[in-house]
Amino acid sequence: MTQGSKGLAKAKEVYEDRSRRAKELKAEGRKIIGYPCIYVPLEMMTALDLVPYRIYGDMREPITEADRGLQTAFCAIMRSCLDLGLKGKYDFLDGFVAAHSCDPQEKAVRVWASLIEHPYTHFLDVPGTLQAGSWEYFKGQLTALKKTLESFTGKIITQTRLREAIEAHNLQRALVRELYDLRKPDPPLISGAETLQVIKALTSIPVEEGNELLRQVITEVKKRKNGPQKKPARLLVWGNTMDDIAHVETIEGDEANIVMDDHCGGSRAYRTDVELTEDLLDGLTDYYLVKLIPPRTFRVAVLGETKKDWAADLESRFGYIGEYIKGWDVNGVIMQLVRYCDPHGFEQPAIKDYFDSLGIPNTYLEHDYSEGALAPLRTRVQGFLEVIGPKA
Amino acid sequence: MYFAGVDIGSTMTKIVVMDGAGNICSRIVGPTGPEHRRLANEVLTQALEQANLSFGQIDYVVATGYGRVNVPFADRQITELTCHARGVASLFPTVRTAIDIGGQDAKGLKIKDGKLLDFVMNDKCAAGTGRFLEVLADTLGLELDDLGGISLESTKKVPISSTCTIFAQQEVIARISEGLPLEDIVAGLHNALAGRVARMVQRLRVEPDVVLTGGVAKNIGVVKAMKENLGYKILVPPDPLLTGAIGAAILGKEITSKAMAEGVPIERKERHLEEVTFFK
Repeated sequence: MTQGSKGLAKAKEVYEDRSRRAKELKAEGRKIIGYPCIYVPLEMMTALDLVPYRIYGDMREPITEADRGLQTAFCAIMRSCLDLGLKGKYDFLDGFVAAHSCDPQEKAVRVWASLIEHPYTHFLDVPGTLQAGSWEYFKGQLTALKKTLESFTGKIITQTRLREAIEAHNLQRALVRELYDLRKPDPPLISGAETLQVIKALTSIPVEEGNELLRQVITEVKKRKNGPQKKPARLLVWGNTMDDIAHVETIEGDEANIVMDDHCGGSRAYRTDVELTEDLLDGLTDYYLVKLIPPRTFRVAVLGETKKDWAADLESRFGYIGEYIKGWDVNGVIMQLVRYCDPHGFEQPAIKDYFDSLGIPNTYLEHDYSEGALAPLRTRVQGFLEVIGPKA
Repeated sequence: MYFAGVDIGSTMTKIVVMDGAGNICSRIVGPTGPEHRRLANEVLTQALEQANLSFGQIDYVVATGYGRVNVPFADRQITELTCHARGVASLFPTVRTAIDIGGQDAKGLKIKDGKLLDFVMNDKCAAGTGRFLEVLADTLGLELDDLGGISLESTKKVPISSTCTIFAQQEVIARISEGLPLEDIVAGLHNALAGRVARMVQRLRVEPDVVLTGGVAKNIGVVKAMKENLGYKILVPPDPLLTGAIGAAILGKEITSKAMAEGVPIERKERHLEEVTFFK
């Protein structure tokens, strides 16, 4: 990292050269563990001085090598991750932990593990429903992960170290929420593209360095005079993920500020905290199974409201997004999916019903994971902004 | 006062010049293509000559369509979604659903009281667009313009997959070699195209009146197939390629009138009747 760079400049630097810090740490003897989604408990890695490093795809890199191992009509993000792996872009990893956040992730990482050798790999199963036995089963899965990580490092995850790690990650969650609060004013104090740079930087460096970066960014953003301009629309983006600022800028353009998001490359991993329970694994189990809310987990099994009252069911599932819409003064919602995401695709009609029930204008945009998808996306976003008109 | 609507689509460039009373003074349809898009200024020059007007006499120019982005002679860019909705509603005030099938895209528009409420749009696949028919006409050795008439002779349309233009092409070749009547194959193609677009548009909950526009609306076979797929009468404007350009001209007129009524300056760009540049 460039000496002296701070705050947003540092976030941009990390965003543009993500692996640099991880490679420096590796040269110092630290082990780098890749993970592809927000269902992997980073706290356990931090407790063992491992460096968690999120595996992303790259919409600018045409997928070629992954076609050896995966079908083409398959989640393009996971295909892209595997493609980059096969092209050697993640060779510096000492291992990876994947989770069953969806079937494509499981299949892709199994293919990854069979084609690319790492000293350590672990697959964490996550129940797809919340029902009797899910919680105990998942706690067992976390216990198994703890054991393989301990075996890989030759160290034990003590309660003290795990508690410190949970506290550090909870602090990161709180700081990200503080950062997102800076998007409440009009104009927001930080743009959607800048926010994505910060989030992606956080997933590329150790948690303590990320927390320092967040403190710097928050201080800078609060003080600066050259923040985003006021624009006609204040948007919330819901979807599977966004990981490239060109994608964010395509939506924002001159007419909109993205002021809030609910996707796996944004606020989702930071929405709530891990509770510090007596047995710390209980708090982690509760967080990763129950508190994380992407649509890959089918919740109706415990709530049981669907047939009785659709509106109550929608409120229980998506009420937090309703709070975002109010709290961030949103006047339009874009539901955007990188193509072939089954969990989000199944959820989309229900969440559209929810947005309609709130009377908030919304549109659904499904697109490819490539730079070429951005120009047609721009027309659809612009069309939507023309429909909703400027914010009153 | 005079207003121009410039609709640069993927296949055709359409220009309408309108006077202050809403009368169309000239209308021009020219090919787009990679080179022609650049030369949209020449199409506008033709339109101006037809209307006997100079560029300086045009009070407001709205560019729309896929090529709208870098048009140096436009005051404003508005998406083809809004422009088509406005154009269709001006021709059919009772329209609730408009379907536009162009050379390389298809869109469904939900309209109420002349305003666009919602839309769906395909983003890349040729199946469900005019390109589908172009490729298949070529495979069958037929002229694109003849497909509609031929299909009306059909007594039993052949089922054709609408998933992919190339797969449909393979199916057509197989059906030809089986000796099935040409008119039944063509009717099957129209049904495949209309069915695919209808399923996309049904996400908007289709309501009548339904209007079909775009170059494909000139094909009577597709209009018939669309009626069968949606279960509603399909209205087609006399010149279905021009609705986007008409809407663009009307929006230009409305922007100008609104500014004048409010006594504020009309927001214009520094316009140059020069070649269109490509996407930045």
